[in-house]
Amino acid sequence: MKTLAFLVSCLVAAALVATYVALGGTSYEPTPVANPCAPRPHHEPTGNDERIELVVLAAADAAACRLGVSREELVLALRSVDELDRLAAKEGKSRDELEQALRDGLVRAVTQAQDEDLIGGTTAGALRFAAEHLPLGLLLDLLRRGSSLLG
Amino acid sequence: MSAGRRRALVGLGIGLALADSSVVTLALPDILRQFDVEIPQVAWVLTAYNLGLALAAVPAAYAARRRPRAAYALGTVVFAASSLLCGLAPSFGVLVGARCVQALGGALLVCAALDLLTAIDGSDARAVRTWAMAGVVGAALGPAAGGILTETLGWESIFLVQAPLALLTLVALVGLRATSVRGPAGRPHVPANLALLLISGALTAALFLLVLLLVDGWRIDPAVAGVIVTVLPAAAIVTGRFAHRFGASRARAASGAVLIAGGLGALGVLPGSDWRWTVAPQVLVGVGLGLSLSALTERALEGRSPQAVHGGWTIAARHAGVVIGLLLLTPIFTTALDTNENRALRAGAAAVLDSSIPPLEKLGLAQDVLAIVRAADREVPDVREAFVDRPRDEAYRTLEATLVDELDRAVTAAFSRPFLLAALLALAALLPIAWSRGKVSV
Repeated sequence: MKTLAFLVSCLVAAALVATYVALGGTSYEPTPVANPCAPRPHHEPTGNDERIELVVLAAADAAACRLGVSREELVLALRSVDELDRLAAKEGKSRDELEQALRDGLVRAVTQAQDEDLIGGTTAGALRFAAEHLPLGLLLDLLRRGSSLLG
Repeated sequence: MSAGRRRALVGLGIGLALADSSVVTLALPDILRQFDVEIPQVAWVLTAYNLGLALAAVPAAYAARRRPRAAYALGTVVFAASSLLCGLAPSFGVLVGARCVQALGGALLVCAALDLLTAIDGSDARAVRTWAMAGVVGAALGPAAGGILTETLGWESIFLVQAPLALLTLVALVGLRATSVRGPAGRPHVPANLALLLISGALTAALFLLVLLLVDGWRIDPAVAGVIVTVLPAAAIVTGRFAHRFGASRARAASGAVLIAGGLGALGVLPGSDWRWTVAPQVLVGVGLGLSLSALTERALEGRSPQAVHGGWTIAARHAGVVIGLLLLTPIFTTALDTNENRALRAGAAAVLDSSIPPLEKLGLAQDVLAIVRAADREVPDVREAFVDRPRDEAYRTLEATLVDELDRAVTAAFSRPFLLAALLALAALLPIAWSRGKVSV
């Protein structure tokens, strides 16, 4: 009786754990994020908002690829200069490296958007100027409020 | 007054004092918010009481054996008065301090109750069974009772309600004669007490982390969570009634430890973020609790005198186990939560950027979610707050559901490691249970 009760307990406990494992109980993985260095599926923008989105996201992809982080991490870090510094520290980069990657990424994305006729030459020129010359805080503010880029 | 009524009143006193080790579990999120403290700090509302009981139980038992009636009365009055202070605490420090005093009263009350039950029943064995069962019921029912009170009347009501209930149990003393027990106390039953310590440490995970998972992790209403976690005490109480049919105390203790480990192991590998997955593990933990705690308590007291002193050792062992469980598991959980939250945040940001909400809203929303996660600071964030002032169309609803699911999965996985560690603690209890072979006739 003693041994039987113990064996039944072992069996019941093992059966429940095995069932939960079989149902995927140990398989937690966050939804994977895309590689920023790999090309994204082509998407035809339908308005100015989507054009701006494509430029900003392409800029984030280019900068993230160069920094070796995900686009999502970089986008979340665009919230403020402090968040950017936090990301730089985490990745072992300097603020200058991160800032340069952002500026270069935006210039590259603007050039690409201009080549694909997503934005006009004047807008592209203004954006390039902003990317190269605006102080970082102001540039981040512009990226956050993308609508102001097209007026 | 009949022996049955006296037994019920003293049992109520024991139940109240031991329920207090877990009764505030469901109230912790409210206490955390009210006093603006973090998870590791708020855990001290539980830790202080359990640590106090662990440290005070044996000295209280020595004091109680000389004058059990007076010790019970004093313990009850201290317990009731400090409960009132807990309910009216103006600051977190006062609350934790009052919990320490409450533990001193509780220790005196619980240890003296064992000699009172012997006087009421005229039998050591029956007194031990009642004493052990009252403790199991109290500890197991605590979270559910606390959750329902928190939701209906506020967390303070937990303490304000138990003060008059505790005082009511003093009626049992009227006309009761309990003799003092003199003479040296023998050595405590080390294997049984060690097993109690390990099992109690493991049960902390079930009672504390499960409630935290339901309320803070899955954002289930505390009253509903209170009902959900009644599965565990219900299983423990039903099992307790029939426990003696399962064989000798050592076999019951070993079977109980395995079932608790199995239940905790299953909680560590939950296949989804839905409360229904917790039911079967709760049943296993409850049955294991009903089998093992009373069996180990009986084993620790069997053939030993004076009962109150050895009862004190079991209380000390149990609550030292709870403290160890809290101190061991809480940091593991909060670290895992930080890691998984960051991973979920990246996945959530991807979901926002790839969603069909208006493009110019995406950056703002992603960053609002980040702000909520950062502000939560070692608590479980509620990303739904980011959607409060946003449109309620299909695109936003779908995105909100995706983010909530992402976070739910991350939070559920963060609980995995502490539950699995707790399962190992329960399995480790098999060693002292095996070691106790032949030490006491069973």
